[in-house]
Amino acid sequence: MKAVLKKLLTFIITVLLVTLFVFVAFEMIPGDAATARLGINATPEALEKMREEMGLTRPFFVRYFSWLGSFFFGDMGVSYSYGVSVRSMLASKLPITLTLTLMAFIMVVVLSIPIGLYSSKYEDRVFAKVIDVSGQLVMSIPPFFLGILVTYVFGMLLHMFTPGGFVSYDINFGKFISYLIFPALAIAVPKAAMSTKLLKTSILSERRLDYVRTAYSRGNSTMDVLYKHVLKNAVIPVITFLGMTLADIVAGSLVIEQVFSIPGYGRLLISSIANRDYPVVQAIIAIIAMIVIFINLLVDVTYQVLDPRLRGN
Amino acid sequence: MLEVTDLHIEIEDSVIPETVVYDFDISVSAGEIVGIVGESGSGKSMSAHAIAGLLSRKDMKKKGRIVFEGEELLTVSRSRLRKIQGDDIAVVFQEPMTSLNPVLTIGTQVEEALRIHSDLSDEELKKSALEMMRLVELDDVEELYYKYPHELSGGMRQRVMIAAALICDPKLLIADEPTTALDVTIQAQIIELLKKINREKGTAILFISHDLSVVRSLCGRVVVMNRGRIVEQGDAEEVFNNPKEEYTKNLIEAIPKFCKIAVPKKNTDRKPLLEVRSVSARYKKVTGYLIPGTKQKTIVKNASFTMYEGEIMGLVGESGSGKTTLGKTILGMLDDTEGEIIHYSKMPQMIFQDPYGSLNPTKTIGWILQEPLRIKGGFSAKERSEKAKEMLSLVGLDEGILARRPSALSGGQRQRVCIALALMLEPRLIIADEPVSALDVTVSNQVINLLIELNKKLGIAILFISHDLKVVYELCSRIIVMKDGEIVEQGTDEEIFNNPKKEYTKQLLLSAGYTD
Repeated sequence: MKAVLKKLLTFIITVLLVTLFVFVAFEMIPGDAATARLGINATPEALEKMREEMGLTRPFFVRYFSWLGSFFFGDMGVSYSYGVSVRSMLASKLPITLTLTLMAFIMVVVLSIPIGLYSSKYEDRVFAKVIDVSGQLVMSIPPFFLGILVTYVFGMLLHMFTPGGFVSYDINFGKFISYLIFPALAIAVPKAAMSTKLLKTSILSERRLDYVRTAYSRGNSTMDVLYKHVLKNAVIPVITFLGMTLADIVAGSLVIEQVFSIPGYGRLLISSIANRDYPVVQAIIAIIAMIVIFINLLVDVTYQVLDPRLRGN
Repeated sequence: MLEVTDLHIEIEDSVIPETVVYDFDISVSAGEIVGIVGESGSGKSMSAHAIAGLLSRKDMKKKGRIVFEGEELLTVSRSRLRKIQGDDIAVVFQEPMTSLNPVLTIGTQVEEALRIHSDLSDEELKKSALEMMRLVELDDVEELYYKYPHELSGGMRQRVMIAAALICDPKLLIADEPTTALDVTIQAQIIELLKKINREKGTAILFISHDLSVVRSLCGRVVVMNRGRIVEQGDAEEVFNNPKEEYTKNLIEAIPKFCKIAVPKKNTDRKPLLEVRSVSARYKKVTGYLIPGTKQKTIVKNASFTMYEGEIMGLVGESGSGKTTLGKTILGMLDDTEGEIIHYSKMPQMIFQDPYGSLNPTKTIGWILQEPLRIKGGFSAKERSEKAKEMLSLVGLDEGILARRPSALSGGQRQRVCIALALMLEPRLIIADEPVSALDVTVSNQVINLLIELNKKLGIAILFISHDLKVVYELCSRIIVMKDGEIVEQGTDEEIFNNPKKEYTKQLLLSAGYTD
């Protein structure tokens, strides 16, 4: 219980720091929101008036905390470029990016665990070696390039999906999911290859430990030794890796959205940065940070469940 | 019950197949305790694992016959072998620390074999597990059942291992060095426990050990192995009293027997070398969050003693008594200490227990030996290499070793390199922390002789940290006994061994089998 409270506290502090960091960053970028809105030809008087109106003349920390306060009550301000509430803009896009990220994350787990088990069990077989080599190969391909390849092979050649034919979740959920499969795959495959390799190495080194011999001496079959003894120990480093890789997956989603023309946070973030639409950018970054930190929290809790040695410390 | 004839074991996975066990014959009848003794690499564990069916059928080629209760274990089907494993033949391994699965509860592991070999319900399994845990004299078993291995001490873990092995009431228990990793007092308790199990349940025990005195106290019959072959076997008393083979004689000779192998130099001038005054040492553990606090654990409490030029002083105690920490404190390796440590000469050097982990595997011996001089500075390359050669010859090693890496050396050679390394800066005092406990008896004796020789030749004082009273008796002229961080008693060897004042010292002497 104490450990969970600790994690929760970490969660809050990290969110505060990330949002503060974003705020400071925009403070330091030349050109402010008033200029962005009125254009570079505006008169100094008009700019001053606009700053006054937008509350930009208030001290930095007053602005930060007033933004933070309204953010946590769901008010994210109004978009400079579109004049609509940021909240309504983001609310409709959140499910898209979140689904893409989660699908990619699940794919990493679903792909890497069975393949890792297979290649550690039959490490001498030709197929396991093929997996090894191809894993090495895809690990070194950046997701956006893999995205282009996937679009070409599965979209243009095999016609398994229509590139650019994104369907929103509120129109047809089934089509929405099936369109996201390939982008998610492009994000997941390099990470899955890394995680497979890690699991394989981890299983192989666990298998050499003394407790495995003990398990055999009690009459366990090879399968039982693997599933009841080795796997529980071997997944611990893999879970750490998955936790660390999550931020990468989110970042990957933002990039992949560009490649596959998915109207999620990625595209909105990029256009908002270009337009200096600060309320949107700040809100997106804060939300993404919260998602990443929250899933990390889940990973930490899983960790404690899996490894009794970490409990109570 | 068990009949092994002409067993050969060959390791297949190396480029050149290597035979590790030849012509191994052994028979164990119901209710009997048979010991297999030999030094490391003699093939004793390998043979025992072969009997338990624990050697890979693919990588280990086996010839001969292992007949257990009329069944030929080498050719029986895998599924049949699994039925025998854990049910009729159970094994207790050497390392209780690593032989238990760290992420499973004690209860799960104790009842596992019974779960595999019976159809009992969870409740019945738990009942049997608790009963077995009580039989091996564990306390608070209800609570222990839900604990994890890391929460238990070494002795408790070994009891758990034994309970787990006995849960199916096996006919044969193979105990592979079950006491080697434990403290003397715990060792004696485990041996008593095995005797009790044999007496009460009639379980036959095949006991593997490098420790002849343990084997002698437990086994009715004994098999002596060397380099994969059986050298001699027979009735235990007969073998120990009238060994026929030269190898057995040497082995028995090498048993530490509470005898002085060297009369330590008596120092008349008593020039102090090191003074330790009311020294305490603590380890800090960071606790709390946001507002950091520290929890302190005092490992050494208020220790005071003086060492004189050229003497060999023993520092004895069981694991966790704080003896290693005291050694490190003297060298200034810890931050949080109290009290005064006065060095009357150069900084002492330390030799560690594990000669495998103490040397950087990626460097050559020459590089390793020269390192202290490189760090100190002011020596030419020629001076450094001359010095390394000189120290190497002092510890009885050939200079051909300089270009090799630690992996090419045996345990005994590595420990000699560690000693040479400690000598590079010409200290007047060496702190030797369990320098022989990872070595075989014969090798251990050589290292001890080397230390005595260095003491005589160079007049170097040695603070000898050990849990082994026999070794301490052999070479120390004064002894400090530690328990739970405190110095219980200190005095000359005569005083400690023949006239101990404290109950704890008496108890230690008793468990080590010392009688005057």
